[in-house]
Amino acid sequence: MAVYIEHLFKAYEERDGEMQYVLNDVNLTIETGEFICVLGKSGCGKSTLLNVIAGYLKPDKGSIRLNEDEIHGPSAERGVVFQQHALFPWRTVSQNVQFGLNMRGVPDAKEIAQKYIDMVGLTGYENKYPSGLSGGMAQRVGIARALANDPKMLLMDEPLGALDALTRDSMRRELERIWQITKKTILFITHSAPEAVYLADRVIVLQKGKVSLDQRIDLPRPRDITNPKFNDYVRQFESEITGVAADSVITE
Amino acid sequence: MTFAKETKTTAAASYKTAAARRAKRDKYFKIGSLILFFLLWEVLGRINDACQWVDPKFFPVPTGIIASAYTYLTDGTLFTHLGISVYRVVVGYAIGVVIAIVLGSLIASFKTMDNIFSPIINLFSPIPIMAFLPMFILWFGIGEQSKVILIAYTTIIYMLSYVTEGIKDTDPVLIRSAVSLGANPWQLFTRVKFQSAFPNIFLGMKGALGTAFGAMVVAEMMGASTGLGYIIVFSKNWFKMNDMMMAAIAIGLLYSLMFAILTVVESALFKWKKETTGGAVEK
Ligand SMILES: Nc1ncnc2c1ncn2[C@@H]1O[C@H](COP(=O)(O)OP(=O)(O)O)[C@@H](O)[C@H]1O
Ligand SMILES: [Mg+2]
Repeated sequence: MAVYIEHLFKAYEERDGEMQYVLNDVNLTIETGEFICVLGKSGCGKSTLLNVIAGYLKPDKGSIRLNEDEIHGPSAERGVVFQQHALFPWRTVSQNVQFGLNMRGVPDAKEIAQKYIDMVGLTGYENKYPSGLSGGMAQRVGIARALANDPKMLLMDEPLGALDALTRDSMRRELERIWQITKKTILFITHSAPEAVYLADRVIVLQKGKVSLDQRIDLPRPRDITNPKFNDYVRQFESEITGVAADSVITE
Repeated sequence: MTFAKETKTTAAASYKTAAARRAKRDKYFKIGSLILFFLLWEVLGRINDACQWVDPKFFPVPTGIIASAYTYLTDGTLFTHLGISVYRVVVGYAIGVVIAIVLGSLIASFKTMDNIFSPIINLFSPIPIMAFLPMFILWFGIGEQSKVILIAYTTIIYMLSYVTEGIKDTDPVLIRSAVSLGANPWQLFTRVKFQSAFPNIFLGMKGALGTAFGAMVVAEMMGASTGLGYIIVFSKNWFKMNDMMMAAIAIGLLYSLMFAILTVVESALFKWKKETTGGAVEK
């Protein structure tokens, strides 16, 4: 599913008669099957952008179209993975993954859920409740739950942000593997430049409510983090975000 | 009105963990304390019989209470009174719980319902139920109706805020998850908001049981010729302290039994809640 964002404005408040735009004329096209990373400092409006695309927030001005259709509120065609896993605590792992299927009354919900539980490597944990899972496991369930519902597009708001460095690393690799199997259109939010370079076809840098950089990553997958070009990209994005020479910034 | 404090019981299949051993020891300790209490009470009563500090007629003792229970049992009236009290409290409480859940759900879901009902409820809820009983008797008669309605009314008033607050407190991110997974408004309510509020609603149900019992006793003391509350008033008129104590203890036991049933149901329903046996810090 292709997404067309044109002249998008969103403000939370008005001060002295002026709208305080968090998103200030955002223009962006996402092609079908693309893995896009949105990169930016915290507070720059990344979550706001995702929430508008998800349909949780209404744009003040501008349009968001999916293929031909203007979006109206949240929908099952746009799956969301949150930073805090947002699992239903009263449902087991399997029941969580089945949620979307149950809502539509899909008959083989259990079998379908199993396929995605296996895909994210949680075989054997089907009957556990979220309270008994580690952060990384819960996040995988969140991803499996979104995938099992077979959305046309996946929106991920810093899904690895709450995890420790080692778990993040292995989750990144898994995410790439899953994306290559499912070929979903993915919009992935992060504040980590290396993460963006590792995952994305295209990196969008968001700054002061605008797209300040839209860069295609020309590296073969899976990406080699020791490749000098990998680090060139990382430096380029970091200096873009911070506005200073990138070597003086420690990331992650 | 509260009759018993909630006590945590840890069912331990084996006593291997420190927490389980401790729980077992605590249990014997508590049982021992109860036995000692009744023994002391009886001894004090016997001494009073001898020394006549107060008129022994006004000093119930455990053996006297058992004798009262035996009399009521053998002439068959104990179960009549007990049965009618159980009937009133169970029916009134059940009606109250259902209405509170339905009404609370409507108030939490629709602003119009909130605007219609909340001011009225806020007007009536601070008034102690005792003040309503004479009115209820005049409106609904001295039969079962007025008692059941009084019990239902107190249950509703007590539970309502647990229902509305529970539903409104649903984590917004869970609501977002659900709508993005395709839940329609009805599914969102039944599968997410209500589920999320259920533990809080159950907490309200457990608390409301105490007020329901309070309403039952009041109703039976003021306008009844049967029931445990009636035994208390009746015995008072004839200075039968042992009978009074027997009825009071029966009320307490009945409450504890129903509370225990609710606790069992609760732990079966909310298995998904993280089990915490040792408290914040294991000792
Ligand atoms: N619900 C809200 N009400 C008011 N201001 C908000 C709200 N959500 C976010 N903001 C503000 O909008 C800006 C962008 O927030 P957000 O999109 O969450 O940033 P990011 O996800 O990039 O960290 C921040 O300055 C934040 O304080
Ligand atoms: Mg954010």
